[in-house]
Amino acid sequence: MSAPNILKSLFLKELFAGLGVTGRYFFGKKFTVQYPDERAPLSPRFRGRHAQRRYPNGEERCIACKLCEVVCPALAITIESEQRDDGSRRTTRYDIDLSKCIFCGFCEEACPVDAIVETREYEYHGEVRSDLLMTKEQLLAAGDRLETQIEADREAQAQYR
Amino acid sequence: MAQPGNIELLTPDTRAEIDDWIAKYPSDQQQSAVMAALRIAQEQNEGYLTDALIGAIAAYLDMPTVAVYEVATFYSMYELNPVGRHKLSICTNISCMLRGSDEVVEHLEKRLGIKLGESTADGKFTLKEVECLGACVNAPMLQLGREYIENLTPETLDRLLDTLE
Amino acid sequence: MVDIEINGVTIKAEEGAMVIEAADIAGITIPRFCYHKKLSIAANCRMCLVEVEKVGKPVPACATPVTGGMKVYTRSPKAIAAQRSVMEFLLINHPLDCPICDQGGECDLQEMAMGFGNDVSRYNEGKRVVRDRNIGPLIATDMTRCIHCTRCVRFGQEIAGMMELGAPGRGEHMRITTYLEDAVESELSGNVIDLCPVGALTSKPYRYTARPWELTAHHSVSPHDCVGANLRVDTRAHRVMRVVPRENEEVNETWLADRDRFSYTALYDKDRAMAPLIKRDGQWQETDWDTALTFAADGLKRIIARDGAANLGALAADWSTTEELYLLQKLMRKLGSSHIDHRVRQQDFSDQDAMPSFPWLGQSIASLGSLDAALLVGSNVRHEQPLLGQRLRQAALKGAKVSLINPMDYDFHFPVGEKLIDTPAGMLGQLAAVVSAAAEQKGATVEGLDALVTVDIEDRHRAIARSLIEAKNGTVLLGNISAYHPAAGALRQLGVQLADLSDVRIGFLAEGGNSVGAWLAGALPHRGTAGSEVDSGKDWRAMFESGLGGYLLLGLEPERDCIDPALATRALDAAEFVVALSAYDSPAMREYADAILPIALYLETSGTYVNGEGRWQSFAGCANPPGEARPAWKLLRVLGNLLDTEGFGYMGSDEVLAEVQGACRDVRPDNGRAWQAPTLGPAPTGIVRTTDFPIYAVDPMVRRAAPLQDTPLAGAAAVHACAETLADAGLSSAGRVRVSRGDSRTELPIVADERVPPGSVYIASGKRGSELLGGAFESIELTQA
Repeated sequence: MSAPNILKSLFLKELFAGLGVTGRYFFGKKFTVQYPDERAPLSPRFRGRHAQRRYPNGEERCIACKLCEVVCPALAITIESEQRDDGSRRTTRYDIDLSKCIFCGFCEEACPVDAIVETREYEYHGEVRSDLLMTKEQLLAAGDRLETQIEADREAQAQYR
Repeated sequence: MAQPGNIELLTPDTRAEIDDWIAKYPSDQQQSAVMAALRIAQEQNEGYLTDALIGAIAAYLDMPTVAVYEVATFYSMYELNPVGRHKLSICTNISCMLRGSDEVVEHLEKRLGIKLGESTADGKFTLKEVECLGACVNAPMLQLGREYIENLTPETLDRLLDTLE
Repeated sequence: MVDIEINGVTIKAEEGAMVIEAADIAGITIPRFCYHKKLSIAANCRMCLVEVEKVGKPVPACATPVTGGMKVYTRSPKAIAAQRSVMEFLLINHPLDCPICDQGGECDLQEMAMGFGNDVSRYNEGKRVVRDRNIGPLIATDMTRCIHCTRCVRFGQEIAGMMELGAPGRGEHMRITTYLEDAVESELSGNVIDLCPVGALTSKPYRYTARPWELTAHHSVSPHDCVGANLRVDTRAHRVMRVVPRENEEVNETWLADRDRFSYTALYDKDRAMAPLIKRDGQWQETDWDTALTFAADGLKRIIARDGAANLGALAADWSTTEELYLLQKLMRKLGSSHIDHRVRQQDFSDQDAMPSFPWLGQSIASLGSLDAALLVGSNVRHEQPLLGQRLRQAALKGAKVSLINPMDYDFHFPVGEKLIDTPAGMLGQLAAVVSAAAEQKGATVEGLDALVTVDIEDRHRAIARSLIEAKNGTVLLGNISAYHPAAGALRQLGVQLADLSDVRIGFLAEGGNSVGAWLAGALPHRGTAGSEVDSGKDWRAMFESGLGGYLLLGLEPERDCIDPALATRALDAAEFVVALSAYDSPAMREYADAILPIALYLETSGTYVNGEGRWQSFAGCANPPGEARPAWKLLRVLGNLLDTEGFGYMGSDEVLAEVQGACRDVRPDNGRAWQAPTLGPAPTGIVRTTDFPIYAVDPMVRRAAPLQDTPLAGAAAVHACAETLADAGLSSAGRVRVSRGDSRTELPIVADERVPPGSVYIASGKRGSELLGGAFESIELTQA
């Protein structure tokens, strides 16, 4: 062991340096967010729980192309489709298993009609596993509820897409 | 399945005339007479073809109906809707266009009160836009019946229309 | 053979071949849309433009014949620029609706656009829109997507023989359509779905239900006719989503009949039997397999214990797998009964001992396309074996003289040589006249033939005989109607004799998808497996007429499958115990059956079909059978064990197959037989009923395939008769008529139809309205309703 190293360990230099950092933050301005009384700011790109959007005329956007299903790396999406009576291609089933989902956002990326989106919602829980399965109705209801925010977020990001 | 066409719709004269044309081709190639047959049938029926007539020709020449329909829709000489007594086929291709076919069309549309592809309410005139008829040397031109009217100006057009019944 | 160079590689090419064919053989990819190896060359898509050295402009590879020393570049800057430009033009009017297009993911245009297109379109103008037309229940149209390759039009003209689709209009206004609002009616129409390189023509039943990347491909074989068309079955989540052809040049080429393609829809019919059903004290109840199988075995045991095994009969459908048929006959023979049959549409068994080891086509299927003369006896081949009809059409277009002896003037899609249309009884005389003409031309005498010649020998008969005698590659084919005929034995005898005299091949067009397998497996009363000698049992008619106590039905719906449904239902109703192994549960079946054991259909079980030319084709199950349904071979195995018979310890259907195949190793088919003048019964008097099983009424699956039943070729039964017959019988040419024969009667609409010869009426079998009417080729009574 060299002389400088012996001196360093004798006088506990590293210990005091570390305590110094601790002390700086201890007396400095606090970053801690007091959740749930306080909330951290969210980016427009935040990837929370999913929703399905509608067109302004109330028609669901999803056309059952199944690109989200095939791109999903966690195989969390299940879609069944058929021809609706008016001849259009629609889903009869659109399930997202949130317990499988890794919130990568690929489904959003793949969607040609901006139907499936990830919202800013991250506070949800399920008491049983099936609570974490979002059906088409739930997704559309979430979309209806959050449409203003979803649209504002898309608007803010439009130039980057 | 398409109902087999009723050849009775072709008058005996029409059929005789078609037979003349069929005779011009080898015996197993009567479908070669389809263009002539369509023209003759069109003349029989006030200048236009109906679905029933197309079916009748198909039956007469033993061709698939859709094949006769293909021919009838390909050539602009065949009409599939009723036309006026005088069909004015105006060329709007490049030579005529450069020599003022636009004015000719505009003048005719204004005077007759109809657009290209329409017929006057009294069933007298039909305006039709056609591709080059090979009379570029005297552009602009139009075809009336079997005649070419060339070097058109609004004045000559007015004179022409006045002479037509 | 000439040497050409493609991309610097020297390859050998057939002289006169096109560059694209040479490239395909050498494995060099040239993009294409309109070129298809089975269709004529149109060269109208221009996608296959390539550069050829010393030629100024890029040339289409599909329409440029190879010449010696030619140097072709498919990836040179000039070729790539040409392909890229063509791609850009093709995409101008193509909608960007890939996400909702069923072709998306397996689309030629998508692939070519990835390989040869630009990233960005420069076209900002409005796109062309084409109005769709409804062209029937099988094909969905999105004509805006069409790129005008005209493959579908050429298919109709060249292969299907019905030009139903055309390309009216010109330039940008050109569109593919039927005439007016006609539905496409060809029995091969579904092939345009495969041919269409884009999503303009897609399958209607499959529409929007799956995407190609979700599908798992399986191989199977079609059971609807003796072609044994090779199928690729696409499943998703163990459910069959669609059926497409698997290329096999020797069997189905690249085609499928609509029946093969769309019958899968019947897998999910509401009639499917989902759980074992037994009838206790007159009440039907669903039960579990143990109870049901024990119930069935006990019922059969009861009959055997009381009246002996000879009071037990088994009838099988001719589309059951070879394994199932083998196990059924093994079970019956081990129990001690020889009453096994599958020929429920045949009526004449007088010559069954003279039959070959199976009803052999007499030649390979592929060779039908190169015939130069053929005589079809009692065959509507176009509807009975659509793909064989297609082969015969190819031969006829090349100049083969195909003549007919039929009880009705069926529509054929090829030029027919001579047509002899006569009543069922008259057919025999017509065929005898042809035999006689052949004997005369060969200077031979056929003993006892003159008695059969009931018509004057005319030039037509001589012409047919001459065409066969002069043929290098000729055949006489006995179709399904000649098998149903009450004097089928005599027709077979005469057919063989004609083939012998004129030195051509004789072939049988077997009725069912696996008739040949049934003969080989021994599902016959007079022959065991591989034609072995057995104690002769009763054929189906003898079984029904003598009234057995118990029946075992395999896949059969006798009320619609049997040629005499009246007799069949009467006998089954009277029977004490009937076990039906059936995929479908129907009210009619509940009338006569005591146990309905749900079985898997051909797409849900493993098995083997043997086609008309004797080709064994095995397949594995593709999807799960619904509910409690189980493969029939497993049920037969369990029944075998429950009935205390030995040798039913199979672990898999392949063990059964090995046993049958082992037995059949030395079977060599030979359709020949020695001449023996047939003796005929009295000809029926009065109005005779001609019948056949129409294309979409042949088996329980096809009858329940909803899209097929919606086509113009399906529909309810009617009485077809010519004006002369109607006048003689005092019937009007419209309205309804009461048809009766014995104690079965029904009421049907009248259709004036000049295709039916005087003295006979045509009433289809197996269709709605004719279910319970018997009397095929016998006299019936008609009265105006």
